[in-house]
Amino acid sequence: MRTITLIDAIKEAYQEELRRDDSVFLVGQDLRGAIFPHTKGLVEEFGTERILDTPIAESGMYGAAFGAAQEGMRPVVDFMFGGFSYVTFSECSVTTGQYYFLHGSQQSLPIVITAGVGTGQRLANDHAMSIHGTFAHHPGIKVAMPSTPYDAKGMFKAAIRDDNPVVIPWHMGIMMLKGEIPDEDYVVPLGVADVKREGDDVTVLANSMQLQHALKVAEKLEGEISVEVIDPRSFVPFDIDTVLQSLEKTNRLVVVDEDWESGGFAATVSARIMEQGFDLLDAPVTRVTLPNMPVPGGYMEEYVAPNPEKIEAAIRAVCA
Amino acid sequence: MSLSKEQKAALYRNLVRADQYNRMMYRRMMQGKLIGFYHPAEGAIAPGVAACTFLNQDDNLSPHHRGHGIIHMMSKGIDIKYYLAEHTGKDTGCCQGRSAFHFSFPEHKVYMMSGFIGYNFAPAVGWGLAAKRRGQGQVVMNCSGDGSYGQGRAHEAMLMAQNWKLPIIFFCENNGMSIFSTAGEMHPTPDIASMALAYDMPSVICDGQDVFDVAEAVLPAIERARRGEGPTFVEAKTLRFNEHDIGTPDLAGWEERGEQEHQEMRKREPVALATERVLAEGVFTQEQIDGLNEEAEKEIAAVEEFADNSDIARPPESELLADVFAP
Repeated sequence: MRTITLIDAIKEAYQEELRRDDSVFLVGQDLRGAIFPHTKGLVEEFGTERILDTPIAESGMYGAAFGAAQEGMRPVVDFMFGGFSYVTFSECSVTTGQYYFLHGSQQSLPIVITAGVGTGQRLANDHAMSIHGTFAHHPGIKVAMPSTPYDAKGMFKAAIRDDNPVVIPWHMGIMMLKGEIPDEDYVVPLGVADVKREGDDVTVLANSMQLQHALKVAEKLEGEISVEVIDPRSFVPFDIDTVLQSLEKTNRLVVVDEDWESGGFAATVSARIMEQGFDLLDAPVTRVTLPNMPVPGGYMEEYVAPNPEKIEAAIRAVCA
Repeated sequence: MSLSKEQKAALYRNLVRADQYNRMMYRRMMQGKLIGFYHPAEGAIAPGVAACTFLNQDDNLSPHHRGHGIIHMMSKGIDIKYYLAEHTGKDTGCCQGRSAFHFSFPEHKVYMMSGFIGYNFAPAVGWGLAAKRRGQGQVVMNCSGDGSYGQGRAHEAMLMAQNWKLPIIFFCENNGMSIFSTAGEMHPTPDIASMALAYDMPSVICDGQDVFDVAEAVLPAIERARRGEGPTFVEAKTLRFNEHDIGTPDLAGWEERGEQEHQEMRKREPVALATERVLAEGVFTQEQIDGLNEEAEKEIAAVEEFADNSDIARPPESELLADVFAP
């Protein structure tokens, strides 16, 4: 086992998959010079054709990946910041999600979409918004987001090897988070949730940086409230069974998600738990999400976005 | 360049087929025998025939939406019966009857159609990249109309194609109309091809009513791309005889296109022009031409029979849900 950061874990996934499979390539803007550290030095080993920088032209850039995937290659498209994917949203949501199904399930589209997302950098809406909920709304696209270095490496590898389009952003707030990873090759399968901490009184479903917040809160409340913390890891497909199993024990659910309250992943989870797990609940499902406002930058972000205080308050309310 | 007799014969034969396919689609739409809509191609069939007749199976093609790609796809050698079946919602359709009027023939490198005009520019970059990387001389025939060059994606694709010397032919079928709006209003220059100047991309303009003139323009562009010398812009000036799609009024701007305009246009009917030439040059006799027409009629009757005799696709919801993702 070695201890590395989450961003280096993604880099290792890239390096190993680029070496393993000649059809894998990265396309984005300023990847060679490494606007984020996970692409630093890759061009020296893999060359400019496989670490491909494009002009500032998101549709053409995404199209390069999309067309190459139809030609049997396995592109990873890096939008730098998640919100930038919306510049070419018709391509990467509608056209991508429908391609396999609508055209008679003849040809899969192995394409990975990634970018940095999330609050914590005081960058404001267009650089900070989450994208997982919006992409999860479009059928035909798998959506996942890691919360630890171990998961990051394993999930990025799984995404690159998947025959379907996979949107897998990473959270800028935990890019330097350290964790242990094994030396040997491994993947973390998409669509499998993970119980990150066991507990008896309440289940907290949280992802990415908010998962780390939830773990801190759970630790703080130890001896007072026993908190089970689950990371969905994937939003599509969503492993609801792991959550339902947990609810059989805890009968209480708090969903933490850095997407907006309205129409986000937390809303979907709440509805599905009501439909499939109503009899397990002793209290209403409670959500901790971004309020329905554009993400403010500056110093407002830290009290508007989900944070440990809000998570703790929700846990106490649902257990009261 | 000058075309050989064989090349002219191949072009003329496909032109006759294209004309009949388009008439069949028009008739079926009027008879209520097509799902969705149909954008008739009468008057504008020569560019697609010329652009696609000499493509190889492993060349990429993105057809123009007018004629729903039939002209382009049949010229490339694709069996249209699976598309007609799709367009009639049948289970033998090329997309299992799920797609209405969309098509997909991945084995012929016609991957998709999208309802978003100009969608093809972005993936064309990827097809071009893959072809260049493979280094086997494959080309990308990227067909679209004057209207689609309003999309920023057109700029992005031309930018990257020229940066990376991708084997893409930007084939613009300029009929001067997008639904009702005219190219004169929506585009600042008379030639769409002038856009290519900005990228230092070679361009050529040809007479889209003359299938042979288009072929003479497009073949060197294809050869250039095969040699790895990069993209070329080919603009075929053509005409749209009918309304945009069946059921919409025939307007230019917001006023009816007049009888005078129609009479002038129809003097430049592509089959009539080509027939005159093949007879004059002895490519075909009138008897042979009659034979080509009969052949095309038989072909199309068989295509219609296949579609009509297939079952309507109505799989259960559970089966569809299981097919959203690749295994």
